[in-house]
Amino acid sequence: MTHTQIPRISGVLRSPITFSVLAGLVIGALFLVGTGADPFTAYGAVLTGSLGADGIGSTLSTGTSVLGMALALAIPLRAGLINLGGDGQMVLGGITAAVTGLYSPLPAPLTVALALLAGMAAGAAYAALAALCENSLGVPLLVSSLLLSYPAVSLASYLARYPLKEPGSSLPQTRAMPNGVALPAFGDSTVTIGLLLVVLAAAAYWFTDKRTAFGYEIRMTGLNSRFAAYAGVERRGLTLKLMSVSGALAGLVGAIGVLSFPYRFVDGSLTAPGYTWTGLTAALLAAAAPLGTVVASFFFAVLAVGGLAMERTTEVPRELTQVLQAIVIVFLAARLRFPSGWFRRRSQTTSQESPQEIGAA
Amino acid sequence: MTRPPVDPTVELRGITKRFPGTLANDAVDLTVRRGEIHALMGENGAGKSTLMSILYGMERADAGSIRIDGREVTFGDPSAAMAAGLGMVHQSFKLFDSLTVAENVVYAAEPRRFGLLDRAAARRRVRELAEEHGLAVDPDARVGDLPVGLRQRVEILKLLHRGARTLILDEPTAVLTPAEADALFAVLKSLAAQGRTVILVTHKLREVLEGSDNVTVLRDGRVVARLVTADTSADEIASAMTGRAVDLDRVHAPGTPGDAVLEVTSLTTDAVHDVGLTVHAGEIVGIAGVAGNGQSELVEALAGLRPVASGRVTLKGRDITHVSATERRAQGLAYVPEDRHAVGTAPAASVADNLAMGHHRTSLSAKGLLPPATVRTHAGRLIERFGIKAATPEVPASALSGGNLQKLLIGRELAHEAPLLLVEQPTRGVDIGAIQNIHDQIVAYRDAGHAVLLVSAELSEIRGLADRVLVMYEGRVTATYTKDEADEQALGLAMAGGAVAPTEAVD
Repeated sequence: MTHTQIPRISGVLRSPITFSVLAGLVIGALFLVGTGADPFTAYGAVLTGSLGADGIGSTLSTGTSVLGMALALAIPLRAGLINLGGDGQMVLGGITAAVTGLYSPLPAPLTVALALLAGMAAGAAYAALAALCENSLGVPLLVSSLLLSYPAVSLASYLARYPLKEPGSSLPQTRAMPNGVALPAFGDSTVTIGLLLVVLAAAAYWFTDKRTAFGYEIRMTGLNSRFAAYAGVERRGLTLKLMSVSGALAGLVGAIGVLSFPYRFVDGSLTAPGYTWTGLTAALLAAAAPLGTVVASFFFAVLAVGGLAMERTTEVPRELTQVLQAIVIVFLAARLRFPSGWFRRRSQTTSQESPQEIGAA
Repeated sequence: MTRPPVDPTVELRGITKRFPGTLANDAVDLTVRRGEIHALMGENGAGKSTLMSILYGMERADAGSIRIDGREVTFGDPSAAMAAGLGMVHQSFKLFDSLTVAENVVYAAEPRRFGLLDRAAARRRVRELAEEHGLAVDPDARVGDLPVGLRQRVEILKLLHRGARTLILDEPTAVLTPAEADALFAVLKSLAAQGRTVILVTHKLREVLEGSDNVTVLRDGRVVARLVTADTSADEIASAMTGRAVDLDRVHAPGTPGDAVLEVTSLTTDAVHDVGLTVHAGEIVGIAGVAGNGQSELVEALAGLRPVASGRVTLKGRDITHVSATERRAQGLAYVPEDRHAVGTAPAASVADNLAMGHHRTSLSAKGLLPPATVRTHAGRLIERFGIKAATPEVPASALSGGNLQKLLIGRELAHEAPLLLVEQPTRGVDIGAIQNIHDQIVAYRDAGHAVLLVSAELSEIRGLADRVLVMYEGRVTATYTKDEADEQALGLAMAGGAVAPTEAVD
């Protein structure tokens, strides 16, 4: 029936996401014109640089980390919880994986598996600590997760600079993993099995979200936590579980980072690219929906990698892609959308009224 | 109560407002004269709110004109409407709980001195206004500490302070005791006598009959009746609202109580002191009381959403005093909470998802899986069984009318077939037609041998449904009546704190 079809199509077109992305692109183009560059060339460079034969590998390996962190943030976000401690959990996962990789007496393949698990466990435990702070001490999760992140990053930094530092190196990094302690890569690219793990995690998240009672409880908690509590969903337990899963994923990203090139823990190398924030952005953009999170993560990986290529070929600074990201977020936060009739002025309405509005278009 | 005709203060002509799929207002004319109390009635979805939103500048009409004091106006937003002398008290108050009465009243129209808020002047102003209009309230009290009745006075004072000559009140008595409602109407009448105009948006017949001068009834976006209150009757208004004859104030036949299902002994928790009660199978026990006398807290404690300080609660003989909400549900408890938007549903979630809540771990799922198809089938079943009007199970619950949302909520809880049902304010803000349906459902549930604990501020509801009536006042059960003893007078008195042993009250 047209009654359900048309709102769906125009709903997608008019969704705040479409608006934010397009507005970001348009404003980015204005910036480009302002700096004297040709927007079409620049955007073309972003696309060829990230999706072309030379760039796709890089996009996928960046995408591994971005998607991993995006999932780490999306899963609690689905229940309305925000984990701001992704950096700390990721870095702890990374350093734990590094220690496991360096000192495990097991054969290499088992060591890899153990390192991944240890990294996940470290991230999960640390995120659970933030959850416990909220549950039993009443510290808001937003605060506890963020503040716990700093000591974790500092601890890992200390370890990489002093006790675990590679002898003779001038860099704050651990020794390289022993021979064979590395995630298998596809061909000679930088893309590893890690991508597969993260995609599997995304699939598991999709399945849980769509088809399980637990996923249902998560969604309902996100939509109305009092409703969920009324029906007996125990909030503290849910917070603890979701934060543990979130931390485990962040730890996994850290471990993957250590078990692929450069096969060691380098202080700052996990946090510098800003995967946590890009991941958060992607999760927010998708409103934590599983498939949307995957798409948004890929989009941001393309922007990040393509931005580098653009800088090389067009001399437009890659910071532009960060400007683009920022604009998308600002517009998204404002929840702007295309007006229902392009030339009909209408004040902003609340989301409850939007079903009526959509059909009016 | 006929008055000499005066020039109309508010005149709406041919107001038409179309929303996709519905014509919310279809060429509505409304004329309100100076100094009158004009009731605007209609079921939910009849177009009352839309009409008032248009008048108050919150919505733009597709067609039609508005005249205030004879001048044609168009309001872009509520502040323009306020400037023209309109003022609206919304159903949910727009007050700052942490500020004082005086601060709230003068907000956005503060008396200033050297550019700063003149608190002394603000207090003086509130006292003057309060005295002038018989709206006694302490200017220095924090709004958050005031009972609802007084908060409403603050809202009215706010409008008067801003010089509103026409007051629009949206369902003003929903949260008041009968006595408070009477006091409100006394105030409104004195305001009208001073030449102010009152538009009352309501669906309560009693207060319209007692308090208004004229009635305009809307149905399906059209004006179906313009009545002079003195010449009409409750039945006439009700049939105009619903389009058919309605049997008001039905009293259902009593049930046949069996074994005790819920036993509460000296339960104490926040705002509840030493409450004892028993509900038997096949029995509806009603708790009457003005909102805020501990009923909500009591029910929350019974539902497992509020820790119990002391006392004992048993369900079918098993102690559930300290068990979780989930465990209580598993042992046979279903619960229809008072606030269907904030607690009873997730308005942004689909109808199907809303109907699945509570069933999602039991009948609908196997090994933790919850197949979407099962959720849809379940939703389809309940939608049909309880006559919920939803375009599809996929539409968000927020798209349902109040009555339909309540049917969804009650249907979902009844479908548990739990031995004990807790129901709070089952028909608040629900259409007359839907009220009958809901009452029938509750009575049928009782007759099927279940125990029902009903909390309602609506006396007619309590009297119509309950086999026994308890009155709560300030956290205690202060009176108990059998169905026959529970007349409006005795209950009203007990609800206001004057509980006396029930005596044979003769009309």
